[in-house]
Amino acid sequence: MRSRPLWRLAVHSLLLVAGLVMVLPLLWIVLTAFKERNEVFSLVPQWLPARPTFNNFLGVLDAMPFWRYYWNTLVVAFGLLAIQLMTITLAAYAFARMEFWGRDVLFILLLVQLMIAPQSTVIQNYLTLSGLGLLDTRLGIMAPYLASAFGTFLLRQTFKSIPKELEEAASLDGCGGFRFLAHIAVPLAVPGYLAFALVSLTYHWNEFFWPLVITETSKARTLTLGLGIFAQTAEGSADWTMLMAATLMVIAVPVLCFLIFQRRFINSFMQSGLGG
Amino acid sequence: MNRTVEPGVSAGVLVKEGEIRVRERVWTRRRVLAAARPYLYILPTFFFLFIFTHYPILKTFHLSLFKWNLATPKREFVGLANYLQVWSTPLFWQVLQNNVVFALGTVPLTLALALALALLINQKIRGLAIYRALLFYPTMIPMAAAAMIWLWILTPNYGLLNYYGRWLGLPDIHWLGHSRLALWALVLVGVWKRLGYYMVIFLAGLQVIPEHLNEAAIIEGASPWHRFWRVTFPLLSPTTFFVAIMAVIDSFQAIDQVYLMTAGGPGNATNLFIFYIYQNAFRFFDFGYASAVSGILFLILLALTVLAFRMLHRRVHYA
Repeated sequence: MRSRPLWRLAVHSLLLVAGLVMVLPLLWIVLTAFKERNEVFSLVPQWLPARPTFNNFLGVLDAMPFWRYYWNTLVVAFGLLAIQLMTITLAAYAFARMEFWGRDVLFILLLVQLMIAPQSTVIQNYLTLSGLGLLDTRLGIMAPYLASAFGTFLLRQTFKSIPKELEEAASLDGCGGFRFLAHIAVPLAVPGYLAFALVSLTYHWNEFFWPLVITETSKARTLTLGLGIFAQTAEGSADWTMLMAATLMVIAVPVLCFLIFQRRFINSFMQSGLGG
Repeated sequence: MNRTVEPGVSAGVLVKEGEIRVRERVWTRRRVLAAARPYLYILPTFFFLFIFTHYPILKTFHLSLFKWNLATPKREFVGLANYLQVWSTPLFWQVLQNNVVFALGTVPLTLALALALALLINQKIRGLAIYRALLFYPTMIPMAAAAMIWLWILTPNYGLLNYYGRWLGLPDIHWLGHSRLALWALVLVGVWKRLGYYMVIFLAGLQVIPEHLNEAAIIEGASPWHRFWRVTFPLLSPTTFFVAIMAVIDSFQAIDQVYLMTAGGPGNATNLFIFYIYQNAFRFFDFGYASAVSGILFLILLALTVLAFRMLHRRVHYA
């Protein structure tokens, strides 16, 4: 059945149509971003820009503190990841390879983070951060995610798969306890770390709602929030070409990374679905 | 360690005793450390987890028992009054209904398309990576960016959708300004954004189905249609159920596109749960009422998630 050329043709054409439908919106904004402002107000669809221009991108840099937003996003996404890697490594190792009283109950208490919607605790987290004086800071944007149940869960699976004999042998050679974790367990878990890192970076690069609640000025605002705010200014809402240029500037790097490391990204997200 | 030498006792013996004592002390300290070690390892995680997850859950329910808004800046205990107010507010019921319609519009359509595409892409065909990238990339971009893209596509007169609508002889439609269409425009965005993600989860499910079952069905002479309904679909059903619940939960968390595309309008036609909470807490500063709505949402989602986790568990044993 599978080798029949007609069947193949059908599969290819269906996938091609679906793929085109999915990619047309992206193509449309890319082309819009290079058009002149008035060109979009025509009643006949024009895909290609008549006179391609970079002015929209330059205009965006003038109209909003784009690099400031970019820097904030990088600090939030990578800073958070650095802290998460430490917290999840220690917790995952304890849950995977140590016996202690209350372990199972504590593990369920950890999984609670996966079971709830972060949005349902927004009010109290806002009040907490207000009390800590962390409103409108990058640390405030990171705060609710410093511990990661998903990361701990994912890494615990990896640590669990390391054979007991390896740990015993290493221990005899004087590489027990923390040194085993640092020199043997962590290097063995690199694929797990990579999967977690890609999901975490994507999630926090893209996050909109929590930064919206917690920030008041452009001091700590991230890219997606900056884009949303730009869209609601007079400039952003009146000029589609500039808004599409801004959108393109926000998504360019993640989309390029995805195209280059496609398989890794998709595998990571597959695991995120299985982890919750 | 005791360094003074008592008269009459040889130094050697004393040193030995001291060593033993020191060793004993080290040994017990080591034991305490060993017992404490797991707790030290999980301490950073649980420190943050408590402050930003456990405490806020409990505190949200606590706050929901207080009247605390602009008119009552100093909060006062009112028992279940906020919940009664929720119950008697028509807008709350409309928000709930909107969200249910949004879920019913998004979930079956996304899942059916995702499964169909996963089946197509699960064949050994050329160009697979390209198809997969085209279908998956919306997962990678921020919902805020997707909202911008679709705002432009759905815009009246000059939007892409209306261009081609006119082509087909449809009238100009102001999608986001129409109280009966706006929610469906959000459904469209939701399907487009999540389709690739669920397709990939289905692919993961398809790949654990043992090859020999399909081969056996082929030998038995089953048609592809039969093979799908008799072999693939039943074996995939735990995945399907799990994905369905995840998608429903997802639809109850929708906020970015609501905030950016419709702001809940026109006339609350697209006001969904999180946006409603946001409005009450951060626009009207009614923290007590907003906490009660948060508590209700929390319970709805918890019930759904527990269901999903149990299904996942079953699937793990299954495979």
